[in-house]
This record gives sequence, C-alpha cells and structure tokens, in this order.
Amino acid sequence: MTHDADAGPGGSGGRPPTFTAWLRNRTDAQLAALFALRPDLVTPVPADIAALASRATARPAVLRVLDRLDRFGLQVLEGLVALGDERLGGPPGVERDRLAAALGAGAERLGDTLSGLLASALVWEDGPRLRPVSVLGDILRTPAGLGPPLRTLLADRPAEALDRVAAGLGLATGYGEGGPAERIAAALGEPARLERALELAGPRARPVLDRLLWGPPQGTVSGAANRGGDLASASSPIDRLLALGLLVPTAEDTVALPREVALHLRGGTLFHEAQTAPLELSGKRPGADTVVRAAAGQAFTVIRSVAELLERWAEDPPGVLRSGGLGIRDLRRAARDLDTDETAAALLIETARAAGLLAADGEVDGEWLPTPEFDLWREAPAERRWLRLAEAWLRSPRVASLSGTKDSRGRSRPVLGEGLDRRSAPEVRLDVLGVLAAAPEDLAPDEESVAARLAWLRPRRQGPAYADLVSSTLREAALLGLTGRGAPAPHTRALVEELDAEDAPLAERDKTASGELLAAEMPEPLETVLVQGDLTAVAPGPLVPRLARELALAADVESTGGATVYRFTEASIRRALDAGRGADDLIALLERHSSTELPQPLRYLVSDVARRHGRLRIGTASSYLRCDEPTVLDQLAGDRRAADLQLFRLAPTVIASRATRPVLLGRLEELGYHPVAEAADGTVQLTGTAPRRAGAASAASAARDLEEPAAPGAELRMAAVRAVRAGDEAATTARRPVSAPDGAPPRSPTAATLRALSEAATQGRRVWIGYLDTEGRASSRIVEPARVEGGFLTAYDATRAAVHRFAVHRITGVADLDASSH
Amino acid sequence: MSCLIVQSDKTLLLEVDHELADDCRRAIAPFAELERAPEHVHTYRVTPLALWNARAAGHDAEQVIDAFISYSRFPVPHSLLVDIAETMDRYGRLRLQTHPIHGLVLHAVDRAVLEEVVRAKKIKGMLGERVDDDTVAVHPSERGNLKQALLKLGWPAEDYAGYVDGEAHAVDLAEDGWQLRGYQREAAESFYAGGSGVVVLPCGAGKTIVGAAAMSLAESTTLILVTNTVAVHQWRSELLRRTTLTEDEIGEYSGTRKDIRPVTIATYQVMAARKKGVHSHLELFEARDWGLIIYDEVHLLPAPIFRMTADLQARRRLGLTATLVREDGREGDVFSLIGPKRYDAPWKEMENQGWIAPADCVEVRVNLTDSERLAYATADPEDRYRFCASSAAKTEVVRELVRRHEGEQTLIIGSYIDQLDELGEALEAPVIKGETRVKERERLFEAFRSGELHTLVVSKVANFSIDLPEAGVAIQVSGSFGSRQEEAQRLGRLLRPKSDSRSARFYAVTARDTIDQDFAAHRQRFLAEQGYAYRIADADDVLAGDEL
Repeated sequence: MTHDADAGPGGSGGRPPTFTAWLRNRTDAQLAALFALRPDLVTPVPADIAALASRATARPAVLRVLDRLDRFGLQVLEGLVALGDERLGGPPGVERDRLAAALGAGAERLGDTLSGLLASALVWEDGPRLRPVSVLGDILRTPAGLGPPLRTLLADRPAEALDRVAAGLGLATGYGEGGPAERIAAALGEPARLERALELAGPRARPVLDRLLWGPPQGTVSGAANRGGDLASASSPIDRLLALGLLVPTAEDTVALPREVALHLRGGTLFHEAQTAPLELSGKRPGADTVVRAAAGQAFTVIRSVAELLERWAEDPPGVLRSGGLGIRDLRRAARDLDTDETAAALLIETARAAGLLAADGEVDGEWLPTPEFDLWREAPAERRWLRLAEAWLRSPRVASLSGTKDSRGRSRPVLGEGLDRRSAPEVRLDVLGVLAAAPEDLAPDEESVAARLAWLRPRRQGPAYADLVSSTLREAALLGLTGRGAPAPHTRALVEELDAEDAPLAERDKTASGELLAAEMPEPLETVLVQGDLTAVAPGPLVPRLARELALAADVESTGGATVYRFTEASIRRALDAGRGADDLIALLERHSSTELPQPLRYLVSDVARRHGRLRIGTASSYLRCDEPTVLDQLAGDRRAADLQLFRLAPTVIASRATRPVLLGRLEELGYHPVAEAADGTVQLTGTAPRRAGAASAASAARDLEEPAAPGAELRMAAVRAVRAGDEAATTARRPVSAPDGAPPRSPTAATLRALSEAATQGRRVWIGYLDTEGRASSRIVEPARVEGGFLTAYDATRAAVHRFAVHRITGVADLDASSH
Repeated sequence: MSCLIVQSDKTLLLEVDHELADDCRRAIAPFAELERAPEHVHTYRVTPLALWNARAAGHDAEQVIDAFISYSRFPVPHSLLVDIAETMDRYGRLRLQTHPIHGLVLHAVDRAVLEEVVRAKKIKGMLGERVDDDTVAVHPSERGNLKQALLKLGWPAEDYAGYVDGEAHAVDLAEDGWQLRGYQREAAESFYAGGSGVVVLPCGAGKTIVGAAAMSLAESTTLILVTNTVAVHQWRSELLRRTTLTEDEIGEYSGTRKDIRPVTIATYQVMAARKKGVHSHLELFEARDWGLIIYDEVHLLPAPIFRMTADLQARRRLGLTATLVREDGREGDVFSLIGPKRYDAPWKEMENQGWIAPADCVEVRVNLTDSERLAYATADPEDRYRFCASSAAKTEVVRELVRRHEGEQTLIIGSYIDQLDELGEALEAPVIKGETRVKERERLFEAFRSGELHTLVVSKVANFSIDLPEAGVAIQVSGSFGSRQEEAQRLGRLLRPKSDSRSARFYAVTARDTIDQDFAAHRQRFLAEQGYAYRIADADDVLAGDEL
C-alpha cells in the first residue's frame, strides 16, 4: 500500500523518485525537526531510513499528525490529494502554482503551511511537484468534497455500460486504444469535450450536478446501477447524466460525481473559500485591571482551599471507594467545607492529586491522605504553590467535570475514580489556553468564538466530546485563576509561553515570568490581626505563615475568604497549651500582632484556661511495681543494675517503669527480686498524634500512571538522527568489515560503562564494547551509541551493520575506539 | 485598600474604622443583613432572602455587584457575583395576579420556570387548570401556602393580586405637639405603596407611630397583633395619643378581655392558644372585615400565627421589627407570608437612637469556697446550675455593687426565690416575685419609677409579663432571659443611656469555673456581637475597692 516507503538502497539514478529517497536527502537538522514534530517516529528508534519512511507513512502515525493540523493545513493537503491524483491522467503530484491557484490563497500563507507539511513529512517533493504521502488518499476519501476520478469509478462498470457511455459521448466502443474506461476518462478530462457533454445533458441536468458539486459527491438514485439505456432513450436528467458518464453509479442505489466533472464545474477552485486564517475572537472587554485582580484573587482562593481541604483530610481522611475514588458524601462535605459547589471541589481534589499532593495510602481500607510533598508545597511561596497546581492541571488527562456523570453501565463516575481520563484533555487545555493567550490584551473571548477558533485550529478533532472538553476547560481555567472574567491573566500568558521552554516543572524553576507576575498580584501577607470583644480575631488578608499557624493552633477558623476569622474558645486555647504554648506566650503573641488593644475578656479566657490546664498530669508507663514496704522499693530504686528498666518512683509504695511487664518480670527475676505479676489493668494506651501521610511511592506512582510518554529532548532527537543514518548507511552500502582491535574485550565497571556510553552517544563517537550474548558468549562489537535508557543501549552495530539494542548489564566494558586505535 | 472583605461563606466583613466604612455600609445595607457588630469588624451576611428583599425594594444586581467591586479590598470571586446575579434574577419570574375570568392566577414571565414549578410535587395541589402557556389558575385559599412553597423552591413570586379594602374606618394622625419624623413617614408610605411587607426599625425609633401612620393611610379597620399584654397597653395608649381614635374605637383582645372594635389589639399568646387541640380564637380574624393587619415584633411571630396568616393573604399586612433575624430560622416565612422588607432605617439613625453600645457590661466573678466546690462537683446535674448560681459568695459582691451605685436606680434580677429573699434582706430592699400581688407590684414599680425607691429585687418569673421600669444599673445574679434575642431586647429596654450621656451599667455576677460562667460566656459573646462593651472583673478586686 505504501509505495512511498518502497525502500531500496541506492535511491537515485534511474529509479522512480520515492518518499524514502526524499527522506534520505533531508538534512540532519530537518530529520531532527521531523522527530520533534512527530516524536512517535523515534519510539523506538527505527533501524534505517527505509524503516523510518514506512513508519512515517503508516496510517496511525499519519492520523496523529493530521489531527494536529489546522483547517488551512488540511485544505492544502486535501488540495494536494485531490489534484495530485495520477488517476486524473497527469503525473502524480501538483505544482505549487497550480495548487495556489486552485486554493485561491495568498502565496505567503500557503508557503508557510507547505513548509510545515514538508517538515512533518506528510508531503514530499518530487522535482517541482508536491506529493502527499499515499496513505492520505485512503484517509481523505473525499478531498475537498470531491468524488473519485473517472478511471476509478468506471473500472467497476460492466463493459456494455461503458460502451453505452462511450457511444453517448461519441467515442469508439469496444476494446482497443486502451479500453473504453480509459477512453471515456481521457475524453472527459479535456475541458472542451466535457463542456460539450454537459450541453448534451441538457439544462435540466445542471441542478442535479449542483447538488453534488461541493460535496458530499455521492447521491442516492434508486436503481442507479441498472438504469442503463443510451442517450437517445434517456429522458430524465439523471438518466442523461448517467448515459454521458457525468454521473457514475457506484452501488445499487448510489451515484457519484466524478472528480474531473466537479473540478471543471467548480471553475478550478477547490473550496468556496480557503480558510487561511481563523475568525477573530470576540467577546467582552472587562478591563485589564479587573482581569488581573479577579484571576489573582481566584488563584489565591485555589491554593488556600487546597491547603485547607488537605489539612482537614489529614485529620479526618475520607475512605477510598472499593472501586477507587471518593464517595459522593465526602465530595459534598468537601464542597461544604470549602464554601463552594461540588464541581469546583471535584476540580480542586483532582488537581491536588495530579500535583502529587494527595494520594490513596496503600492499606486495604484505603484512605485519601495528603502526601509528604504536601508539607513541602505548603512552605513554598504562594505563586509557586499555584504554578504547581496549574501545571498539574494542564498536563493531567483527568477531567474533573466528568465526575458524577454516568458511564456506559449507568454507574456514576466518582471523583478520583475510574472513567475520568481523557487522553486528549492535556492537548485540548493547551489549545484552549493557547487560543486565549493569543487574544488581544483584556479581551475575554466568549465560548463560541473560542470554539470557532479551535474548530479552525483542530478541524479533525471536532465533535461533542471535544466541545465538552473545551467548555469544561474554560470553566476550570476560570476556577483555577488562569482567567479572570473570562480573559487570560498576564501570568497565564507567560505560563503558556514558558511551559515547555525547559524540562523542569514550572514550580521548580529558578525564575519564571508567570510566577513573578502572579506574585506581584497576590495580597501581601500581613503580620497583624484585629482582635475583638466577641473573642474573634480577624486577619484582613493572608497572614505570614508562622502567624497563621500559631493562630490556627490557638483559635478555630470560623470563616475564610479574603480574610480569615478566628474564634478563641476554651477548647482552642487548651489546644495551644497542649501543644506547648504558655499562657504568657499566647498573650504576648497576640499583643505583638494585634493592631488594636487586646480585649480584656480574651486575657481572662487565656488565663482561665491556663489556670485549669495541667492540674492533672498524665504520664506513660508500661508496667508498675507495688510493694507495701517502701524500703524494698528504696533498694530497687537505688539498684544500678536496674537502670535499664527506667524505673521512676510515683509514690513511696509505687514504682512505674517504661519497660513492659514481661521484660520487667524477667529482669527483676534475674536481679533476684522475684516479683509476682498482677492482673494487667492500668496499662496506658499510647496514641500517636503525628498527622498521617500516604507513602511517597504510591503518590509518585499515581502521578506517573497518568503521564504520557515524554517527547524526546533535543539531544535525544539528534542521537536518533545519527542512529537512523547509521542504520541506513549499513543498509544501503555494501557491508565493509570492521575489525575490532586485538586483544580481549574491554572490561570496565558498570558506572564507568554507562558514563562512557552516554558520552559517546552525545558526542556521536564510535566505541568498542565487550558484550555477552544471550548464551553467555563473550564477543566484542564496534558500535555507535544512539541513546542509553531503561537499561538498554541502542546503537548502530558496525560489526553487524545493523541497529541493535544491547542490555547494559551484559556489556562487560567500553573502550574508546579512536583512542585505542591510535 | 478599601474596607470590605468578602468571605467564601458569603459573609461580608466591614472594617468600621476605615474612612470609607460609612459609605460602604450604606451601599451594602440594602442586600446584606448585619449579623454581628463588635468593635472593629462588622459582619454582614448575604442571603437569598436579603437579595430578594433588595430586589423587592427596587435594587438590581448591577447595583449590588457594583457595591462589591467598589468597596471590596480583594477581588471578589467571580462565581459569587454570578451567584448573586442569578439569585436576584429569580425574583419576580413568577407573579400572582388577578385574572378577569379565572380569578387568582400564577403568571410566569419565564415559561420554563412555570413548567418546573407546576411539576413540583408540593405545589401541584395548590394549582388549578392551566389558563394558557404562561398562566395557571391558583386556588384562592392557597395564595399564602403557594408563596411559601415557591420560596422554598427558590422562585419567590411577586404578589400583584391586590388586596381587599376591608371595612372603611377613618383614622387620622393627631399631630398636636409632635410630628411624624421623616423616616417614619417614608416607612409608612413605602409599606403602603408595596401593599404589604416588613418595616425594620431599631428599638425606640417609634415603630408604633409607623403603625399608626400606616393605619391613617389605609383608613380601614385594623387588627394589631402584639407579643404580650404590656405591649397591648402600650399600643393602646400610643394610638390614643397619636391618632384621632377614641377609647371606644380601640378594643383589647387578650386573656382577660375580649373586645372587638374597629381597631383591635390582640396578643400572639391568645391567638396561638389552643383548647382541646383547636385554636379557639380564630374567629377574631373573621370577626370583622379587617383592612389592615399589623404584626408587632414580627421576628417573634409564633408558628401558629404563620399558618393563620397564610389564609389572610388578601389583606394588607404590616410587619414591624428591629431585626429580620429569627432564632428559629423562619425568615423565609416572614418574607413570603408577611411580605418583603419595605423599609430599613439608615444606620446613622440607629446610632443616634442609641441602639448601638447603649450599656456597659461587667461580669463579676466570685470564687466558690472549697466546700462549695466539692458540693458543686458532686451535685446532681440538674441541681448544679441552681447550686452555683445561688452561691452565698454572690451576696457580698452584690452589696458592694449596690453601695457603689448608691443613689442610682438599681435592679437586681434573679431566678431563685431563696436567693432573692436573702438578697432582699441583705440590701433591705423589697422583693417582687411570682406570688407578689399585682397591686403591690404596681405600687413598688411606681415608687421605683418616681425615684422614691432606689433598689428593687425582682424575680425573672415575675417580670416576664410586666414591663420592667427603666433603671441605670441592673445586676443579674442568676438565670437569663430566654433566648439571646430576647435577652438583648430586654437589656436594651431596661438600660437606656442616661440623659447625662453616662452609659447604663449591667452586671452579671457569676461563679468561677462553673456552668454559671459558661452561660455567661454565651451572653458575653452575644452582647459583644451587639456592640456592647464587655469586661470581666474579679469579685475580690471589686471588694477590695478596685475601680471598674
């Protein structure tokens, strides 16, 4: 099928030009650019150019690129497929000028688009003509709404039907001179004869043709295949058209308008209008200042809400449903706690998980818990906290707004559960943000105009699911503070721009423009609160983290939002005292940070609670010793040998010990005290107070599960180019023996091996390796390493003249070939 | 930097010391209810009802959002603004109207809303046949219930169905020696223009006069429902003083008297009273063709009256109150059955009225002796409060406090008779309790009012149904006045700021480390939220002569 990929060493010189040959002649930089555009071509690295060509023209790979083409790119491609068809009689391919004329598009825009298509190897150059890779003919069945060429259509017709058409056109019938189909096709390919045939069909036939003219090119005509008859007997317009070959039956009840006829009738243009550029975005203009403020405010709300929720969950974690995910009740509770609706809560929860801040712990009765990462995240500056969430959302395939919808079996999809993944989600989100970011300053494009722009940008993606994703993305972007009043905030524009500039996540980069822009808009953390007579403290803005923590300890949070309202209660003060704060510390802290005088009842409350705090004291002991004679206990307390038992005297006749009862029993027996065990009541149960966290491993794996395979970096791409070239060299040139240096295969430690191989891969050097094959036989090879990953070395094996994968653990050593040959 | 902060639970925090605070307060007052007013930051709450009240008063969402945007210190979450706009938009999509043929109908401006509503289970029974696509007939008897049900569904209906005029009766204001204040006239007029609804005025702002003014506008027979007998007498004397009504025209319908006159004043208690499970005084509503019904203290309106009111939707209804906040959360019933808020006093006015910070509150804590503590710890739960509240240690402190305020009118209030008797003895002051005869009671009150008597000990039980005289100092030794709302009201009434602008004093004597103190903490919170200054003092310091 893919005759483009017909390999064949040599490539030039008399042989018909092929895609493979064209590909081979691309420069290294062009190939690397191709890999950048189509990373799937180098996973894994193809053995040689022929393999690359066949992979590049495989249907799924081509579909993947097509899906990313914009409307005009697709139109150009359709134009190439429609006009460049060799069944139309000419040589395959189209000249640029002809294409430009047929599209009616500006040369500049067309030039850009064509170089894009060439760069991604969907189109190749055959001399002056441009040719689409042949699989496109299969994929784009009706390019530009055009039917198949006559030669194809007529090929299936019975001979007598062809004879009738030939007769109708006044051509010779029967075989000879290439057969009737060829004759008819050639005749109708000439504009003059075609025009005459149209005249013969009569004026009433024209409306019939017009219905099929701009596609779809197929129409339904009952009994089409059997409506034969010659021109003379044909009375209805359709019969006349059929008799003249201007319409051709394709099946029992369908007819098609041949491409030649349609092109002629269209007057040479392919489309009503070439959509070289998308429509302008339209919408409200909320004012740049409002946009920034609204978005930053929302961003602040998001990080505050996530922190609040996860802190709640650390204390009282919701369970993991048996099917995975979060129960609807827990979602509702979260929404209530955050004073928001379930949609927003679902988004925050999913985003927190995507950012690695939340995970299910691995136990059987699983619970959703914040991860250790959460503790680090909490300490980060506000803008970094937001960046981490925003990027996680952008890259996550999870679509929170699908939660609560029913799956095919009628079950509701839970948040954090199955069925919320949409592979295309990250791409759609980037597209939407890209469109938003391209909007003029302070324009809040309405949903329709964004959708229209995306319909131009990704014409092949369109559909109800895509539309849903777009509108949920817009909603979610607003909820996450990427947009304010529907317009992208400056920090969002910066984010879109720098997202892929480096490999490191945004939140971990030293400096990000988006972070700086956002930081400038975030409210300045305060150091003062207003303390009032009703025992509340109001922080009129975000507090510095230390003060926020202390206040949250000593008071209950009553409401949050722009400000935080804390309420002091007996219980909350006691909590602070339990955590080791003194009454004086608390008062001093409040005095220091209160902008007004402390109300007197608050001082009373603190001292009241402090007065009663700690009157009863509790300790931990695992066992005790009782003895009615204090002297025995005196003796024991003084016994140095018993120091390891950590004995402490509670009363003259009681000693407590940290050692457990069996240990105590055993040791005292050893020391000769001969104790007797008592019934075991009064042992103290220990309670852990540390906040619970899920294991790091489960969090990491949760995050990793969802990742797409990463696109190769620039270095890797160059290495791939070298590997393919090397393979190609091997495949196309006569094998020339390469002799390994004399002596035993090299041996070197594993780390050194890895280092040497990576170095060689980046520098493109050849090295000599020792290798144990699957049967354990040692051999030595000369290889040109392409990349080292996942425990394998991919390299061109010069000794075997092919690209091979070597297991790194079987490589006994590496020696620098050039060095050793000196 | 502005003065308003919007919280995610839809409360608004207003920094009162900010220079823009007054402007901001005016801007948000129409659609937000003041919830707490401690010294620095006031809390307002935006509820659907408050928003619908604002709509009914002619404010639109634009104005509300504008207020948010211009005064908010931080960007307001867009979702909140959208929510507000949507909520306000729900008001008035449905209208109750009178149809020339079908009588009472429900008409929708938005057909989808009507479709949703007619399908609601609770509403089905109240509706008759469909008149046209946008209109459906309503059983006249269900006018009130329908409004209640629609409010619950979130589609409050505007009531354009009009009112019966009722039996005409001439009432005029008799403005001799006094004049209707501007805001009182405005309140009465905006009520009358709206047909029915609630007027919110602070205590002492002359709600009775607004009622009288409304009557003079309606010029019809009027039924006035008030909280208790004392209020009946107040209304009666005010009406006699302010209007052309004569004694014969005003009837009293209470536990003791059952006169029905063109203007009749009845208590909620009587109306809500049941004999053998039946409300026996319902006939009062039918006794005359009332043209106007006035509900005093509408925030205290008991549930049975709501039910009765549901059947009175064709009559003009005026609710009077100082606050729309109800302890039982039935604000929605007030809205749908009495009507939306028609008038709200400007804040400044309230301050001038002295409603804010009228009194200075001091909690004095006494220590129980060791033996009392032990007895308290071992007492049965039901006796515990009584035990700590009537601690002997309180007597001495009360004596000291009374001594300090010598010459001022001082009331001592408590719940337990033994304790009160003991105090009366110690202070050599008369005690009024449940068993005190009415005559004696009135004599003592009169003596107190005239200044002949400076100190009076009263039991809570006794003062429930009687208007306590005003005093400069009140000392509460045990018990509290029912609900928090009631407590603030009574305190407000009891303790008016003195003419020499010296604030009144309220002492609560409590026993340290007991539930007495816990109750005091509740009171403290509420009083502080109402803007009262509140302090705590140790009994020992008081006895040692420390300045309070």
